Amino acid sequence: MILALLLALTAWLLSLILPWWSVFIPGLILGAILGKKGTGSFGWGFVGIGGLWLVQSLYVHLVSDGILTTRIADLFSLGSPFLVILITVLIGGLIGGLTTLTGYLFRSILSD
Amino acid sequence: MTKKVLQFLAAAGATLLLFWALSIPLGPAPPLGPLLNPATGFWANARAAETNTNIKIPEKALSDSVHVYYDEKRIPHIFASNSEDLYFAQGYVTARDRLWQMEFQTHAAAGRLSEIIGERTLKYDRFQRRIGMIYAAEKARDAMLDDPQTASAVKSYSAGINAYIKQLNDGNYPLEYKILDHTPEQWTPLKTALLLKHMTYTLAGNNGDLRMSNTRAYFGDDFIDKVLDVQSDLTDPTIPKSKNWNFAPKKVEKPDSAFTPSVVKNVQPFQPDPRNGSNNWAVSGSKTASGYPILANDPHLNMTLPSIWYAVQLHGPDQNVMGATLPGAPGVIIGFNENIAWGTTNVGADVWDWYEIEFRDSTLAQYRYDGDWRSTQKRVEKIAVKGQETITDTVIYTHHGPVTQDFSGESIRSNVPKYHAMRWIAHKKSNELKYFFELNRADGYDDYRQALKHYESPAQNWVFADRNDIAITVAGAYPQKWDEQGRYIGDGSDPAYEWQGWIPFEQIPVIKNPERGFVSSANQEPVDNDYPYYLDDEFAPFERGRRINDRLAAMENITPKDMQQLQMDVYSYHAETALPILFNNLNTDTLSETAQQAHQRLQEWNLENKGEKIAPSIFHHWWDAFYNAVWNDEYGTTDLALQWPSRDQTVQIIKKDSTLQWIDDITTPQKETLAHLVNRSFQTAIEKLSQDYGSFGDGWKWGYVNETDIGHVGQVPGLGRVDVFTDGAGESVNAVRGSHGPSWRMVVQLGPEVKAWGIYPGGQSGNPGSKYYDNMIDEWVDGELNRLWFMRDQPAVSDSVAYSITLQ
Repeated sequence: MILALLLALTAWLLSLILPWWSVFIPGLILGAILGKKGTGSFGWGFVGIGGLWLVQSLYVHLVSDGILTTRIADLFSLGSPFLVILITVLIGGLIGGLTTLTGYLFRSILSD
Repeated sequence: MTKKVLQFLAAAGATLLLFWALSIPLGPAPPLGPLLNPATGFWANARAAETNTNIKIPEKALSDSVHVYYDEKRIPHIFASNSEDLYFAQGYVTARDRLWQMEFQTHAAAGRLSEIIGERTLKYDRFQRRIGMIYAAEKARDAMLDDPQTASAVKSYSAGINAYIKQLNDGNYPLEYKILDHTPEQWTPLKTALLLKHMTYTLAGNNGDLRMSNTRAYFGDDFIDKVLDVQSDLTDPTIPKSKNWNFAPKKVEKPDSAFTPSVVKNVQPFQPDPRNGSNNWAVSGSKTASGYPILANDPHLNMTLPSIWYAVQLHGPDQNVMGATLPGAPGVIIGFNENIAWGTTNVGADVWDWYEIEFRDSTLAQYRYDGDWRSTQKRVEKIAVKGQETITDTVIYTHHGPVTQDFSGESIRSNVPKYHAMRWIAHKKSNELKYFFELNRADGYDDYRQALKHYESPAQNWVFADRNDIAITVAGAYPQKWDEQGRYIGDGSDPAYEWQGWIPFEQIPVIKNPERGFVSSANQEPVDNDYPYYLDDEFAPFERGRRINDRLAAMENITPKDMQQLQMDVYSYHAETALPILFNNLNTDTLSETAQQAHQRLQEWNLENKGEKIAPSIFHHWWDAFYNAVWNDEYGTTDLALQWPSRDQTVQIIKKDSTLQWIDDITTPQKETLAHLVNRSFQTAIEKLSQDYGSFGDGWKWGYVNETDIGHVGQVPGLGRVDVFTDGAGESVNAVRGSHGPSWRMVVQLGPEVKAWGIYPGGQSGNPGSKYYDNMIDEWVDGELNRLWFMRDQPAVSDSVAYSITLQ
């Protein structure tokens, strides 16, 4: 749980100063430091980054009356703007999950 | 231990794979990582910052601070203490709203779309190079920079755009850069020149020489005489017939014999939209309620988002001007200042001619001219293609202009090479910016006429009004031609086919304060047959011009509201002249039920092209089917590209003689009569309507059938506005036809204080995530005009100013 929160916080801070790929960094590091199990690492990783991106995209969507989300949905022939949010969250979650898992697994090799 | 290593490698591998998949373009889509992440992806474009801000401009580019006030429509009102700062700010502010559009449109003009889009646009880009667009723009840029005033204006404008670009980073690139995966390029005066030459193509890019020559070769002079030379009785030229031409025209040498060009298999693949045109008019104080003139203008172009126009006010030391600007060029193009107002419609004169060139051999190094061999020049065009190698295209130039074949991109073939070179007004060095520069500052009629001396292309009917006068000038640089010169392909080796000079400025058609109390133009014939120079044979059908003149003649005590209503007029003169022919020949005994309902609707119709009505759909489908029934059989007997008659020519021909040979369908053994065609086409129309729009009912409403979509400039799906339900038709004053129509509507009331109204189907912001991207479309559909806030001085802290920025 703390893992998820820290992931979200670090990812957000990094995104302010580094390009988009910086979202790959927190999981690798925090997974190594705080990861306890494989599934847990992936799970909290998913929730951490996925959650961050959910909050961010939902905020933008609501505050802008969904104008752009709807247009992007049309662009990709998706039926609803919420699918755009969903895909964003899934991608973020996948990034978070995989990087955190990788971080954890790396440390678990070393701790042997 | 190994198990853990393997697990780690699997996870690391999956992570790398994910990273890779999110970093590469997937088919036409850009990389998803950069696009979808909330920090810098499209999410970041969803809202524009709108608070009062001070923007620091680095490197002392400004000599003083500039204040920009945005009103509730987000029109910027720019106040600067000197002209350089003013144009700098215009560049900055326009880029802030419309940068991507400016870049994309100038890339398109330069034949550089393939850099952004890829192979798909190669044919288009090659065409742009082969008609010499960059060549034309280079000349125009040189002309701009030769004049100190326009040089300063365009350089300051460029600097402003570049200052905006400089402060952009990944996250705040306009959305389309992210979707199309490219980054902004530095702006240069060449790009401004490209934009203006692109407008020249849009408005003076029409040419029928190749088709006319084929038509004459295939159908003969008699056909041309009986069909393509016909003019509707109802034509009402821009300069009224009453005008006397009080000058001795210069003589033009005609060739001794007519040249017979070879038939053209390969005509150019692109042509500007023939519907590009407009309406404008001005009424004198004798006819208005206020006693002062009123001017109105609505240019007709392809309607896109962002809109081709961008509204701005410029307040500087020697000007206070407002109106529609073209993103990419400094100054105001259509608008008004404290003393005068002006607007434009397209003339459509023939300033693009084709010449048949006989080359000495397949090297194309020399061509025949005046009994001798002349050398050509080569210009190497490099076309960069996204994801591929750069293509090289060598374009041959004769002294007339570029040889535009070979469109297919195949290497030029051998045996006696005959190709076509083009002569186009856009290649002539001219400085239209000077015209706008002077016009924006003009005080009255004399300044207007003086400014017009700089105006060469595209030829436009510039309408003018101030407190006392109204006028219209059919302005432009016109080659002095003998009758019908340039209507057909010319002999590129014969000096008699050259453009032998230019119509002197004082002899260009103009009228000031005519007795009838109004001036107007709607792309129809500019002059009556007694004008001593040849301008062209093809202009717009008579309907809009006549309707405008009929209405203006009948009106008294005119108010701006009356002018607004006239812009929205949807009466169809085409229906008035064509329907009687169709009705008289329709056999109503054997009509199906749907057809009977349709027929009844048509009979009840008041000839107005209103979106809510079904009758316009029926009429337009009927007419299209009928027109095709008359001409398809003859024209379909060959693959050659031919010139087709216009709708009003067709009506005129049939009105005069209903037993014409072309009525007969030559693909059938029997001899058809007019009644045959009328009935058959009615059937076809009903079938097509039923097939496309369902059974007779609301689905047939003209607002749906007209299919008005306002698409994105780059044709990116989702970024346009589809299914706009509106009134209008090609033949009506409110000329909405499909996605083409009044791209700006403006009415200006002159007087002690100028009052103006304007609107366009779009929004000031070029950001698809902004509320102001398309907010004016609905009002435009309803025929509303927004009062334009023309500030005399900087506004006090006021509710009507949405926000302001200061550039320092």
